[in-house]
Amino acid sequence: MDKSRGQQLLTEAQKGRHEEFKSFARLEIEPFAEQWDREQRLPESVLAKLAKRGYLGCSLPREYDGQGWDTVTFGLLNEALGRGSSALTDVVTVQAMVSMVLLKWGTTEQKRKWLPPLAKGEMIGAFALTEPDAGSALQSLSTGFTKNSEGHALLLNGNKKWISCAQFAEVFLVFGILDQRSAACLVPRDTPGLHIEPISDLMGFRAAGLAQLHFHDMEVPTANLVGKPGFALSHVAPVGLHYGRISAACSALGLLRGCFEESITYAATRNIGDKTVGDLGMIRSLLARMGTDLRAGSLLCHNACCAEDDHLPDVFEKTLMAKYFTSRAAVGAASDAVQIRGASGCHGSSPVSRYYRDAKIMEIIEGTTQIHEDVLGKIFVDQAGRIAK
Amino acid sequence: MSTADEKGIKETVRGFILSSISIAKLDDDDNLFESGIVNSLFAVQLMTFIEKTFAIEVGMDDLDIENFKSLNATTAFVLQKNGHPNG
Repeated sequence: MDKSRGQQLLTEAQKGRHEEFKSFARLEIEPFAEQWDREQRLPESVLAKLAKRGYLGCSLPREYDGQGWDTVTFGLLNEALGRGSSALTDVVTVQAMVSMVLLKWGTTEQKRKWLPPLAKGEMIGAFALTEPDAGSALQSLSTGFTKNSEGHALLLNGNKKWISCAQFAEVFLVFGILDQRSAACLVPRDTPGLHIEPISDLMGFRAAGLAQLHFHDMEVPTANLVGKPGFALSHVAPVGLHYGRISAACSALGLLRGCFEESITYAATRNIGDKTVGDLGMIRSLLARMGTDLRAGSLLCHNACCAEDDHLPDVFEKTLMAKYFTSRAAVGAASDAVQIRGASGCHGSSPVSRYYRDAKIMEIIEGTTQIHEDVLGKIFVDQAGRIAK
Repeated sequence: MSTADEKGIKETVRGFILSSISIAKLDDDDNLFESGIVNSLFAVQLMTFIEKTFAIEVGMDDLDIENFKSLNATTAFVLQKNGHPNG
């Protein structure tokens, strides 16, 4: 996270990893991110580099071929990659969501079969929860699971939309309804009855491979059910969404750092007459807000990651706060970064124009800003009520 | 485990629940999930608290509302996970 403050909270090993991640981002991501955004696709070569370095399975235990890194290190990875490309970081986000759900709720057989290829990046996963008519309102899921007469297979019918990485994922964790109870199951990409329809021309995250999924009498073994029916929305999905929020919070922090670094460099070097842009008080106001948000966001992300490593029950609240703060701060910082650069900030030759488009997506993924406000506001009111008693 | 252990577990869980949701009191058999006072965030918070406090792991086989529906149910679940025959 932010070096000048967050680094004091890091161990030597975590500091070393962060430098490694930032170096990787500088060399392998930042020079190419604009091209990926323009072409609306990630090359296989960069996914292979993520896999080779163990980044796609960094949170999984070594017994499943993961790296066994702590959550603080996972957060640092997302921050460093988020500085380079939100779309590429989304792959790490979704891979963690699927992997950590399987680690928590998978059967022994499911873990043995699916976790090693996910950890090694030989297989990319996608989290298929959102539907055309069920976004924030997950109780409205309509994808139907029915058991066949022998009870050995499930028949899936329905549609999913806005599914990150679906254009190239090899396995999908699909949520739906089985006998009026929520359920989740693993669906391999090559399952007959699955049709994948790419979504293009998004405002941001353009290279993240979003797609719609259509299931038509698609048959999967009941052995692919993850968790027990009835608990998919109360226990299974929340584990994935929680890891997604940790990742998204730190990715937004990286984007915020990108806005800050681009802006202070421009302000210090761009001349206006005999002054620089940074000599202007109004620009300094924007930089002050950006730099302070960066420090505050760094601490909130570190706080959430530490709570996850310590397995504290308030980790969910801390993660909601971190994601709420950094995603909103990233939107403000990206807008100000464009403003500081003027016309050149509106062109693809400057990363801030991409940051501006990607930042808005941060306020929507893994729970909108308004959902975060609703949940956090209730937590704070409840706390006040308990104090009053 | 002794009766004192059981009482300790119950009061520890009661304390966590009362500090997490806005209710004045909680009886041993009050059904948390039928009452509508908790949401999915609380469900995973309670699970995490139990895992952390009593050094147990809640896995796929434990996903049963009967294990978490009340204070008595949760206490019995913790005892059973810790190998107590009457859990």
